[in-house]
Amino acid sequence: MKHKHVFAIDIVLIAGTLLVLAGLIGYSRPLVIAPLPGFVTADTSVLFEFEKAGLILIDDNPDFTSPDRIYAEDNLVINLKPGVYYWKVQGIAGTESEIRELTILSEVNLKLKQVSEGMYEVVNAGNVELDVEVYDDKEIVGNIVLGIDESKEVSGTKFIGSQKD
Amino acid sequence: MNNKTAFLAVFGILALLLAPNVLALGISPGRTTVDFTPGLERTVSFSIVNSENKDMNIVVAAQGELKDYITINDKSFSMSSEEGSRQVTYTIRLPKELSPGLHTAEIVVLQLPEEGKLSEAYIGAALAVVTQLHVNVPYPGKYAEASLNVIGPESDGKISFVMPVLSRGEFDLVNVRATIDIYTSLNKKVATLNTNEVSIPSRKRKEIVAVWDSSKAPPGPYRAVATLLYDEKSLTLEKDFEVGEKRLKIEKIEVNDFSLGDIAKFEMLVENTWSEAVRGVYSEMNIYNKDKKLMAEFKSPTYDIDPLSKTLMVSFWDTAGVKEGTYDSTVYLRYGGKSEKEDLKIEVRENEINVIGLGYAISERRAPRGENNGLVTILVIAIVILVMINLLWFLFLRRKIKSR
Repeated sequence: MKHKHVFAIDIVLIAGTLLVLAGLIGYSRPLVIAPLPGFVTADTSVLFEFEKAGLILIDDNPDFTSPDRIYAEDNLVINLKPGVYYWKVQGIAGTESEIRELTILSEVNLKLKQVSEGMYEVVNAGNVELDVEVYDDKEIVGNIVLGIDESKEVSGTKFIGSQKD
Repeated sequence: MNNKTAFLAVFGILALLLAPNVLALGISPGRTTVDFTPGLERTVSFSIVNSENKDMNIVVAAQGELKDYITINDKSFSMSSEEGSRQVTYTIRLPKELSPGLHTAEIVVLQLPEEGKLSEAYIGAALAVVTQLHVNVPYPGKYAEASLNVIGPESDGKISFVMPVLSRGEFDLVNVRATIDIYTSLNKKVATLNTNEVSIPSRKRKEIVAVWDSSKAPPGPYRAVATLLYDEKSLTLEKDFEVGEKRLKIEKIEVNDFSLGDIAKFEMLVENTWSEAVRGVYSEMNIYNKDKKLMAEFKSPTYDIDPLSKTLMVSFWDTAGVKEGTYDSTVYLRYGGKSEKEDLKIEVRENEINVIGLGYAISERRAPRGENNGLVTILVIAIVILVMINLLWFLFLRRKIKSR
């Protein structure tokens, strides 16, 4: 044990190197800020906030078998359809952040504008395609399909909107 | 009544008269899906959205196949104009048994017509929105539902065939995979792909994927036929997709035997890179003078170009009065509502016309990586310092100390 102090320096140097490397890996790991884990909203525009990353991966399954890849240098608002999503960000050398879940709730929203006596403009103001049943008194007289933000003029006395299959 | 009260009353009546004749009602979520378990009891909540911020009278009712198993907890109520949304609940109490498959009910939220209002600005119609309840009852044994999605081609020609598979049976699917055959429009098989293999627990969803490199496949329509194999059963799915764009390419434009002042014969060699014939193609050539004003416009007859072949298209330009020089030009290839555009320069000389500018490079769009440069620099510097410290110690200082 003649060179005991040399071995001590060896150990300190190796341990120090490993610690610094671990710190560097932790420092370079991308950080996701928002949306928070398990975030649920009916708003289809979602702000993604993150640091130390340049690529957002969004998929409808946590295995990320077919993710949408969105290159972004900064925080970004992404429009998503209603559904459950999993997302993460990728930084340098492929380092990845934690995976977060995000739910966009479907919203059925029907707007009725009177055009003339008995005539209405029916507007889909929600975030899903709508099936609208049109009634005249108690009798069903028609059925219209409205895409998001689409409108049609129809006559009737009752309008029932539901999410299309 | 004093002046202030009279003013407020008139203002109120005017506001009602000028109010837009709009009714609006929202509900979220539009659908709740539940997996069946015998005797399941659950409270489901949803939000009613007062989108137009109006006073509303609301009635809630259940309808559809499962309506007898639903209890609405708040059947009628009013919402004031200040109430943007209201959370409402209903309770489902399912029976001990239901047949396999999908069972549904609808919770209808009805906004009653604004009858008896002071102004004429009211809507006599009733508006309702629906939140659906879907109850999935597992099929006996093993049962899979799947769809086939084609994603791509990417810039490198890779096409992903993604199959989301839902295990709808009572038992887990142990071994799920698929083979995908790719066919041309002439029904010739050009590739067979195998997906990854997964196991899917009952009532869960997973994806299987296969990737095809289409970079060497001729552009055109294709058909994917997927055979999903799960344990001892199979399921076949089909999807049409396209590789590349329906595109015509100008390879070369030549003018031979030309004398200034005569009629120039433009021979344009056009390649159809699509694997189907393109019909009714014609060229349109615009030539601009030094002031960027149109000085000539001429078209070719129409041509039908066979798949993956080249055709010579001819058009004529009367150069009477044209002076020697270089002119800007635009060539359009028009077909079936589409057009391909090329910007060229036409060099006109006494006895020749040269067409300059055919053939160009498309620059690859790279992902932005600028923000990470600083981070990379820090990491590289830190690692270099670590390596140097280690080298310095193990190769020099350590030996030196030991030798003392």
